Amino acid sequence: MRALIIDDSKAMRSILGRMLRGLQFEIVEAANGREALEQLQSGKNIDIALVDWNMPEMNGFEFVRAVRAEHAYDRVLLMMVTTETEMENVARALAAGANEYVMKPFTPEVIMEKLRIFGMAGS
Amino acid sequence: MAGRKQFSTFLVEKLLFGVEVEKVQEVIRYQEMTCVPLAPPVVKGLINLRGQIVTAVDLRCRLGLRERAATRLPMNVVIRHEDAAVSLLVDEIGDVLEVEEESFELPPGTFSGEVRELIRGVYKLKRSLLIALNMERVLGVTEAAVRA
Amino acid sequence: MGDIDDIIRDFLLESNENLDQLDRDLITLEKDPTARDILASIFRTIHTIKGTTGFLGFKRLESVAHVGENLLSSLRDGRLTLNAEITSALLAMVDAVRQMLVKIEATGKEGDGDYTSLIETLTRLQGDHKVADPKSAALATPPAVMPPPTIEEIRKDLEIPESVQPLGEILVQTGAATRERVDEALSLQKHGDKRRLGEILVATGAALPAAVQDALQVQTESRTPALSESSIRVDVGLLDRLMNLVGELVLARNQILQFSTVQQDSGFLNTTQRLNLITNELQEGVMKTRMQPIGNVWSKFPRVVRDLATACGKQVRIEMEGKETDLDKTIIESIKDPLTHLVRNAVDHGIETPQKRRAAGKSPEGHLLLRAYHEGGQVNIEISDDGAGINLDRVKHQALERGLIPPDQAARLNERELVNLIFLPGFSTADKVTNVSGRGVGMDVVKTNIEKIGGTVDVQNRPGQGTTLKIKIPLTLAIIPALIVTSHGDRFAIPQVNLLELVRVEGEQARSGIENIHGAVVYRLRGKLLPLINLRRELQAEKHDELSSQEGPVNIVVLQADDRHFGLIVDEINDTEEIVVKPLGKQLKGISTFAGATIMGDGQVALILDVLGLAQRANVVSELRDRLAGDLAAKVESQRSDGDSLLLLRGPDDGRMAMPLSMVARLEEFALSSVEHADGRQVVQYRGQILPLIDLSSALTERRLQNRVSGSTAESVENAKIQVVVHSEQGRSVGLVVDRILDIAHEAIKIQRHTVRPGTLGSMVVQGRVTEMLDVKGIIQTADPDFFRETAAA
Repeated sequence: MRALIIDDSKAMRSILGRMLRGLQFEIVEAANGREALEQLQSGKNIDIALVDWNMPEMNGFEFVRAVRAEHAYDRVLLMMVTTETEMENVARALAAGANEYVMKPFTPEVIMEKLRIFGMAGS
Repeated sequence: MAGRKQFSTFLVEKLLFGVEVEKVQEVIRYQEMTCVPLAPPVVKGLINLRGQIVTAVDLRCRLGLRERAATRLPMNVVIRHEDAAVSLLVDEIGDVLEVEEESFELPPGTFSGEVRELIRGVYKLKRSLLIALNMERVLGVTEAAVRA
Repeated sequence: MGDIDDIIRDFLLESNENLDQLDRDLITLEKDPTARDILASIFRTIHTIKGTTGFLGFKRLESVAHVGENLLSSLRDGRLTLNAEITSALLAMVDAVRQMLVKIEATGKEGDGDYTSLIETLTRLQGDHKVADPKSAALATPPAVMPPPTIEEIRKDLEIPESVQPLGEILVQTGAATRERVDEALSLQKHGDKRRLGEILVATGAALPAAVQDALQVQTESRTPALSESSIRVDVGLLDRLMNLVGELVLARNQILQFSTVQQDSGFLNTTQRLNLITNELQEGVMKTRMQPIGNVWSKFPRVVRDLATACGKQVRIEMEGKETDLDKTIIESIKDPLTHLVRNAVDHGIETPQKRRAAGKSPEGHLLLRAYHEGGQVNIEISDDGAGINLDRVKHQALERGLIPPDQAARLNERELVNLIFLPGFSTADKVTNVSGRGVGMDVVKTNIEKIGGTVDVQNRPGQGTTLKIKIPLTLAIIPALIVTSHGDRFAIPQVNLLELVRVEGEQARSGIENIHGAVVYRLRGKLLPLINLRRELQAEKHDELSSQEGPVNIVVLQADDRHFGLIVDEINDTEEIVVKPLGKQLKGISTFAGATIMGDGQVALILDVLGLAQRANVVSELRDRLAGDLAAKVESQRSDGDSLLLLRGPDDGRMAMPLSMVARLEEFALSSVEHADGRQVVQYRGQILPLIDLSSALTERRLQNRVSGSTAESVENAKIQVVVHSEQGRSVGLVVDRILDIAHEAIKIQRHTVRPGTLGSMVVQGRVTEMLDVKGIIQTADPDFFRETAAA
């Protein structure tokens, strides 16, 4: 299973990357929405994208909208990574087609639980 | 300036019609419809599209053509129109075609007045004519359709 | 160790870079304290640091970044303006963060510096924002991303004051759960079960979901309602989308609940219960997001009232109670105009001039009270004035003048019915059309608009003292309980709010209980006449539908619309379900019979009946028609020998004819096709007997008749019906086939001109028209000489 981690903070990408590797995911990274789209379009099969909200060039919301506009990526799970001050943005993202959200900081168990619901508990 | 446009195309009575791709939400096979009593005859029924209730308008009827044979099931071209979705019932689905703006012409006289109202014009293709529908008119509410 | 070091190394690198930039930003900011992009950039830096430290376990760093973030958020959104004090505090924060980063680099830990005073300062500065009104700031400069409520605000809102009982306590007190089970659940929570108490109790079967919900309700109600303080602007389109999604969720939950009834697995059942709870809360929550206080609509009224009062030379004081009462946004849109009209009306027509008021012993200043409150799942809105009230005589007079009611009706209307005349279309008590009371909008439009959203309007009149208008509107729009019925193989949904009862009429009762009076098909329900509509016929599913010859049991759904009751005949009655109301597209909006559509549990689309529209279309609701039908039936029933009651008919050649009501046993309608021939006579089967028919037109031989086929011209011959006046005497009946029954009149029978024409007794003036009096006995005698002889003998 492959996860795309989208965040403009390298530290964050490292943290989430480590967590997901621990859950048997292969990791692909992107620093903003545009890069993330490029990763998707590059033919790699992405199962889930962890999407940060505030990013330059193309933020999380725009990314979700762009992805959901392409039906080719319908099976990519879009999970917003959020903080408690961003909840209403999350609502917008969910309405735009994001599948789930997870609140920082979270433990691997939390992510695992969410993934299990989507039938993606790492193999 | 590209000068090209993309159309979703479909066939009704062997005539090739098209709608700009941006306006087309999706294209699907025959769906079971719930008929609406007292509705204008062009409205063949309502379709459940993943939770969205979509009005199905029979293009044949709208164009004043004869009814489809009972054994032929129509296909659905779901159009986004004024924030709602309406499905056009057509005979067959065609490919997405790209046309040159230059090949556009106003509707020729061969079309009857009623039909001419409903189309914007035609695009001349290599071996056929693509008839561009005027969605506003096609999906608009006619006086006959509005009853007390 | 290697891995973690890498991450921390990345973190340190990144953070330090950002902090350097932040320093530069702060300096730029000092020169231009309102530079939004700089503020946003600073905010993002601290925001990112805070987000990351959460994962790395640097609690101190996290708390400093946290309060810093809040402060920056207020600055970014314009709720606070940068000043020297704030700048210093921010710089101090940056220093503190740097300090900790240095420690982390050196020791891998953030150290144990004490930052409490810094945190206090930052918190204090953030809380000091009463200067700028959050709402107006947000409106003035709409941010690209909505200003989120600060953590402090949310925490404050959710704080439970000591006086509120814990959920467990409430449940124990109401007996919904035992103390032991509550304690067990609490203990689970202590040991790390992250579920809420209510969830645990439901999952372990210690309490019913409904009981938990009730207890939660009790708990919430005792909290201070502080959420109105912090507000958020959200795009309405998004909310609509959310509502739709919630609607879908409700449907899915319903389907799962259906499955759950045949499931044994307790794990599954518990989960469905939880899903149920959550869905309900979500539904409520989303609904609340669309709620707006009615004060938004009312806010304009004081001005409206003041201007209007001045223009009319009156003095009016307006008082508003319940401004904070919430309504769904779409409802607010729909009632804005009606409410405005009612308020204007009260000032324009209700409240008298100061002189008149003084003369009546009232204070010269009129009082207008607006009240709004929630009750029984509905919003109640009252508009009361202490004016002159509604002048019922004037109303009656006006209605008569405009031909809205026939004169004989006017005399017999009771107070309530008189008052409700103001809702008739075409009514207005204004002597002159004042353009003051709103754009020619009548009370009927007000009523229709309110009923369109499922509400009701009621008038309380105190002549000389004032008027109160009571409006009730249901809170839920999109999801309603409905009765599902089947007609002609199709399913339809009927909103339960219109449903009164279900009646099943079988066998003999079906044929005799359903009567035909004055062209109206009615059913006698506990003595009262209920007009009936056949759904099949209304939907034109079948052109030819003979009610009187219907076999088998008849299902009648008794409905209410516009304050009148009627029965809807359907093929089958299915069950009651909660349905999501979806609007019909514009191609179908014009059909008044349907209020929308819904998706049933099996994915099929079903149409929702608009009860009012249906009734109006079938012409069953016209109060007058109803009244006439009721009247006629009543008259005919009581067989008044009151010589002054006449049945008016349309005679051959369109002349008017009359016969004494006392001679009328019943009024019936038969299909032309049921007329048979026997003994050279026309007869029809009627209540197990043979009813001989006499065609009035042929009886009045001087006037040749055309081939009249009942009154309607559009119907084909097969559908033709004949109107029959049944006359009975001592067990024998005969039916007079008439062209059309017109009315009942109360006029003294004064035959003014006697004629020699057979079949009539003369002519007189009835209701201002020349009317011939039928010689009923003579007609019968001529047609069937044996009739009277036989009865006399029997």
